[in-house]
Amino acid sequence: MPLHALPGDPFDALGDPNRRAIVELLAAGHRSVSELARELPISRPAVSRHLRLLKEAGLVADRAEGTRRLYRLDDEGIAAVREYVEQVWGEVAARFRLVAENTREPRGQDRS
Amino acid sequence: MIEPIEIRFEVACSPEHAFDTWANRTSMWWPRSHSMSSAPGLVVIFESHPGGRIFERTPQGVEHDWGEVLAWERPRRLAYLWHLGTDRDRATEVEISFIGAGDATAVTIVHRGWERLGPDGPAWRERNVHGWSGLLPQYERAVSA
Repeated sequence: MPLHALPGDPFDALGDPNRRAIVELLAAGHRSVSELARELPISRPAVSRHLRLLKEAGLVADRAEGTRRLYRLDDEGIAAVREYVEQVWGEVAARFRLVAENTREPRGQDRS
Repeated sequence: MIEPIEIRFEVACSPEHAFDTWANRTSMWWPRSHSMSSAPGLVVIFESHPGGRIFERTPQGVEHDWGEVLAWERPRRLAYLWHLGTDRDRATEVEISFIGAGDATAVTIVHRGWERLGPDGPAWRERNVHGWSGLLPQYERAVSA
């Protein structure tokens, strides 16, 4: 899941403490906007705004249930975050390899 | 448990040289963007014993801890706790093996312990759903880069 395939950036989305709190609450189970607003020190419209950003970043998905809309965590965003981590490791590994293969082993080095 | 990140590749040198390049000459290749200070001329230091510090030092002498050595078994194995960009108690674990294969060395990096990082609330820890917070160190690093 390349980052650019999502309309929002999961890293930006997780940069806000209220959005992280929402993610943590949703990890415990599906919740509606008003349920989330009850557990957070922010207003319902603010929760809705945060949810929209989280949704665009692939971190949260929603579905209608009767008259309510329920939110849950979505795997897409975490796949993007994970891919980023792998990309960082890939860069580290590539740079390490370049140096390891193109430097000499110093002579008289301690081999213990 | 959250699946560890695993990376394997070969380098055309001995395991000793690969190990030393990784742990003793880290400053030569470590991407400066993946540091706390991003300071030009920063050095990266692995203290060569279990319990040793892993840290960056800027030319001005400012130090930032990145982790702690768990195993220093030159040249085959290196393991360390890793908390670059986050708190020490949110450390994940990196284990690297350097296994000689003819003229080359097979390097395997395993980065695990993501599930350990559930944030503070015990309630969250119980859920064991996705270990979101395990990825936050990476996120924090991404935004500070």
